[in-house]
Amino acid sequence: MSTRSPARLVVALGVAAVLAVFLLYTALRGSSTPTLTPSQVANHSGKLAVVGVVVAPLRGDSHSPGGLRFGLKNIDGRSSVVSVVYHGENPPPLFKVGRNVVVSGSYAHGRLAGDNVVTKCPSKYTSKPAA
Amino acid sequence: MADLGRAALVVSLGLVVYAFVAGFTAALTNRRRLAVSARNALFSAFGSTAIAATVLAVALVRHDFSFAYVAAHTNRTLSTPYALSAFWGGQEGSLLLWLLVLTGYGALAVALNRKLLRDLTVWVVPVLGGIASFFAFVLVAVASPFATQTATLDGAGLTPSLQNPYMVAHPPMLYLGYVGLAIPFAFAAGAMLSGRTDERWIVATRRWTLAAWMFLGFGQLLGAHWAYVEVGWGGYYAWDPVENAALMPWLAATAFLHSVMIQERKGMLKVWNMVLVALAFELSIFGTFLTRSGVVNSIHSFAKSPIGAWFLAFVVISSLFSLGLILWRLPLLKARTRLESALSREAAFLYNNLLLVALCLTVLWGVLFPIVTQLVKGETRTIGSPYYDFFLRAFGLPLLLLMGIGPLIAWRKTSARTLVRTLAWPGVVTIVCGVALVALGAGSSRPGLIAYTFSAFVLAAIALELIRGTRATGSLTTLISRNRRRYGGYVVHAAIVLLAIGVAGSSAYGSSTERRLTPGQSVSIGGYTLTLQDVRRRHVPNATETRAVLDVTGGWNGTISSGDNQYVNPPEPSREIGLKTNWLRGEDLYVIADSANPTTKVVFVKVLVKPLVNLIWIAGFVFLLGSAIALWPDAREQRRLVTRLAPARAA
Repeated sequence: MSTRSPARLVVALGVAAVLAVFLLYTALRGSSTPTLTPSQVANHSGKLAVVGVVVAPLRGDSHSPGGLRFGLKNIDGRSSVVSVVYHGENPPPLFKVGRNVVVSGSYAHGRLAGDNVVTKCPSKYTSKPAA
Repeated sequence: MADLGRAALVVSLGLVVYAFVAGFTAALTNRRRLAVSARNALFSAFGSTAIAATVLAVALVRHDFSFAYVAAHTNRTLSTPYALSAFWGGQEGSLLLWLLVLTGYGALAVALNRKLLRDLTVWVVPVLGGIASFFAFVLVAVASPFATQTATLDGAGLTPSLQNPYMVAHPPMLYLGYVGLAIPFAFAAGAMLSGRTDERWIVATRRWTLAAWMFLGFGQLLGAHWAYVEVGWGGYYAWDPVENAALMPWLAATAFLHSVMIQERKGMLKVWNMVLVALAFELSIFGTFLTRSGVVNSIHSFAKSPIGAWFLAFVVISSLFSLGLILWRLPLLKARTRLESALSREAAFLYNNLLLVALCLTVLWGVLFPIVTQLVKGETRTIGSPYYDFFLRAFGLPLLLLMGIGPLIAWRKTSARTLVRTLAWPGVVTIVCGVALVALGAGSSRPGLIAYTFSAFVLAAIALELIRGTRATGSLTTLISRNRRRYGGYVVHAAIVLLAIGVAGSSAYGSSTERRLTPGQSVSIGGYTLTLQDVRRRHVPNATETRAVLDVTGGWNGTISSGDNQYVNPPEPSREIGLKTNWLRGEDLYVIADSANPTTKVVFVKVLVKPLVNLIWIAGFVFLLGSAIALWPDAREQRRLVTRLAPARAA
């Protein structure tokens, strides 16, 4: 074995292996989820996540059979409302009308059956509201 | 007051731009007086930035709501520590903190090295000046913390969940880490610009890199603990892009800290080290871009901010600058020696580096995936925890094993027979532990079992090294004081092992259950029985507290409360978890009470048992201890360095 070859070989094999695993994983497992805005969701169905702002009315309870019902609009407000029925754990405490959220679930017949809600963490930066 | 802050920032901008332009001119034309002038400008920039920072700090403490920033992030009910923490709670203030730390670090690093490494520091000054110019420009022209308004009676306040001691310390720790990575980057760039690509820049910045890495690592653990006790979802890390933004440069810096040892000792991996130091720095800026641009959806930030475009431009320009420098200086970055064997300590370091960089790039790919799919497919797709967990196991477990093998394997080369003999004792400990763990039921999770047995191997290897060394030197303290860097590193390795055990225990062996309860009803999990006693509500200053009170029997006997607080100012809720650390059983009993209703006395309870989770927080302190040992000034090392650097200086 030449004195230089092990390092190069290891680097090349390492990089190649990593790339291969990347491709295999992302191609075969297909574990990614479409993350859409309310204005994009109409032509989709199945598992997805919707990013938007919570709009009233807010009705029901996530633990009840009827679930917690609310609407989602684009964060800039320029979209129609997507209806959400959410079942499961209570949404995070910061969840309320006007809050930006990501709702994951299954979309069918114009309604999102949500099973997970993530609200914006207050720990970071917000842009100034438009004047 | 605001005018003073604004003026101080304009002066800072002028000074760092001068340090950049005059510094480059002086270095190119070899004009010594101009170089001294540029250096002094960098020092003075720290002074003027400190004035600006003082103005903002005073405004925050005095609740001066004529500052728009103060009104947006504080109110009169905030105590002084939390009012001061709003300094880094908003975009503009955090950028000011960044510039303050950068000019402070830069001035100190240049001052400490200006005599020993004069040929390098003349180039380091303009590089630091260039980086600081970007931040000063953003603060002056795009996001000033000194915008004024008609003073309001009160401010918007700080979200209740941020009024937590961890949030006072966590962000500045991260900034000390992010910004600290600019110092080794500037010295690396200075070494390439000056053509002095020997090991001196690494020696000069070793402690800077270590300190930045320590702050970044500890800062992440503080953030994780805050999430665990305050956010109330039962976890501590969610693979969110903003969390990953801190993890990526830390992983790159970890690889760099290991690979520089190879360059120092063997003169190898020079190009690789330049790439790593640039990668760590660029990722720290890229993370800031992610946090503030709104380009990816994150639980931490959705807002689109104009500042993102500036950060993206800076990342692109500085990356091209780094790449161009490395390509230009490739002929000077040739290795002095070569890897002799794939079974050697050098090779173990190389494998370690490949795994760390692979993990770092994997996380980067996960963060970029939504952007890539948006560009390629016109649809944003995100990848969640299963992706990250898979790669954490794929790269993290071999890394854990290498932490045990690396310190025991010989430099240059070793035979397979010698290697087997060297690893015999740790190997025996590992097998015994593995068998015991299976007998105790740990085989229910294969990754958990592997993590535990590899951890046992690493701890046995560290113990073996300490026993051998102590026998040779006569005492443990003598052993550590003779090579603080090495033994500090072993303590850090022990911390990583504790972290691995804590993560494996709490994720692979944890359990949870959910129930709707009324008074008298119970829920059982992991040897604990929780019976709802009552749901109570009471009013306290600035909040209404609702609590479900549960009697606990079994693994621990006592009462635990959980519920929520509804604050008056700011009108925000917070989830209040019930947490009991059972040190005897080595686990946490974690209770989340949802929708607790004091009228109907109904509550939805989620109970989690988190084995060994506290090892993660203990690991943080062990990590600090190990880093401090490695950072501690060492007179013997200093003498060695002066002797070693003297010929290069004379040359």
